[in-house]
Amino acid sequence: MTNCIEIKGLCKSYGDFSLQNIDLSLPGGSILGMIGENGAGKTTTIKCILNLIHRDAGEITLLGHDNIREERLAKQDVGIVLDECFFHDTLRPRDVGKILAPAYHNWDQKLFRDYLDKFHLPEKKLIKEFSRGMKMKLSLSAALAHRPKLLILDEATAGLDPVVRDEILDEFLGFIQDEDHAILMSSHITSDLEKVADYIAYIHQGRVVLSDTKDNILDSYGRVGCTAAQLETIDPRDVLRTRRGSFGCEALVKDRTAFSRKYPMLLVERTTLEDIMLFVGKGETQ
Amino acid sequence: MTGLLYKDILVMRATFIIQAVIMPFYIVLAYFDILNFVFIITYFNTMLMVMPLSAFALDGQAKWDRYAMSLPMGRRAVVRARYLFILILALSNFALGLSGSAALWGFQGEDILKALGLLMASSTLGLLVSGVLLPISYQSGAERARIALYAILLIPFFAILLLYTSGILDLSVLNSLDSLSAAALVGRGALLLLGGLAAMLASYLVSCRIAAAKEY
Repeated sequence: MTNCIEIKGLCKSYGDFSLQNIDLSLPGGSILGMIGENGAGKTTTIKCILNLIHRDAGEITLLGHDNIREERLAKQDVGIVLDECFFHDTLRPRDVGKILAPAYHNWDQKLFRDYLDKFHLPEKKLIKEFSRGMKMKLSLSAALAHRPKLLILDEATAGLDPVVRDEILDEFLGFIQDEDHAILMSSHITSDLEKVADYIAYIHQGRVVLSDTKDNILDSYGRVGCTAAQLETIDPRDVLRTRRGSFGCEALVKDRTAFSRKYPMLLVERTTLEDIMLFVGKGETQ
Repeated sequence: MTGLLYKDILVMRATFIIQAVIMPFYIVLAYFDILNFVFIITYFNTMLMVMPLSAFALDGQAKWDRYAMSLPMGRRAVVRARYLFILILALSNFALGLSGSAALWGFQGEDILKALGLLMASSTLGLLVSGVLLPISYQSGAERARIALYAILLIPFFAILLLYTSGILDLSVLNSLDSLSAAALVGRGALLLLGGLAAMLASYLVSCRIAAAKEY
């Protein structure tokens, strides 16, 4: 089966920052969550996927189509929600439907109206009167109204309250019930990704430092809390990163079970994506 | 592309409404000879020069370009839609000017061919200025294009004024236009207008290149 997104050896340099050899793939029927600190390269990766910026090297295919040579074809089945609502304040939701309809072969005005109803968005109200949550729901309605197979979301849930986020995440889960559908979702809100993502790619300083299924990551990685003296007794090869604080030390381990067997006196807890981000972002190697 | 065109019209509708409200007043003033009809034609063509800047500024506020370039249309289509929008505005201005000229000819017996010649010259200026501002807007945004607009209008004006007052430039050649027949004036106006359209075509190609190379 063709992956919905296939990225091989993607490189993009801005001088002071560069994406280096990004390899990612997103199988159908799944959600790939892209995490990373601000400026790590998530948005740059998404911009490369959408051909908004020129890559230096690498290949990207969307739904089997090259994203540059077959850009228009590739984007026909892609829905996009970026980090902001890009519709002018003086427009109304019904205008958005009329503006986007000619751009997509499969645009379904009725479906667009259904989404507006579902999200309680008044068709005739000016967008400038919408809250951030309403604007993101409008963007999502616009992204879904042409029945896309792939959704690309860049910080789409940022700044939304938990109720709205939950509503939108439910929509994503509904969307990927179809095996042909997939979602690439970049987010800082790791708890959202823990809820919905099947795969996680962690981008750190322009490189993919972790890419695996979410279950593998959460089931195998672990966090060890210990004293500085205990940390000294651990073989550096058994820990990925460490953090030292005034109240003790912490270490990130890749195989929780194996570590527990080797060091039965130390308590290893399940870890979260946020823990992993903090270890990679602020921790140090042993 | 039609969607983008529709978007430009919707976003600029407030400006259109203001112009539509102003226009009847101007026509009444022209009818009573309080305002020169040439002034009105020039006013609406000046508005045409400013329209691309307003459209780009509003797009800039909404960060629309990034979204538009992510749609399945290609960058060229996005640029084409903006040029078509400006051409439609120019055509509407021209049609309005023509109707006004015809009305003044009917009511006051004004020389319609002369008015037509002036309308063509004024429309050419509108197209030329838009043709320069559009690529600058694509390259550097609306704010820099606004500075360029002042430069385009003020530098030639002051240069001509300086050359004229220092006796280098002889503007008496313009008086010879009065001796031209109305038909000859219209002919020259039509040539100018064709030149303006050719400049818009060249400008479109430059904007396409700028948009293709740009990162959004």
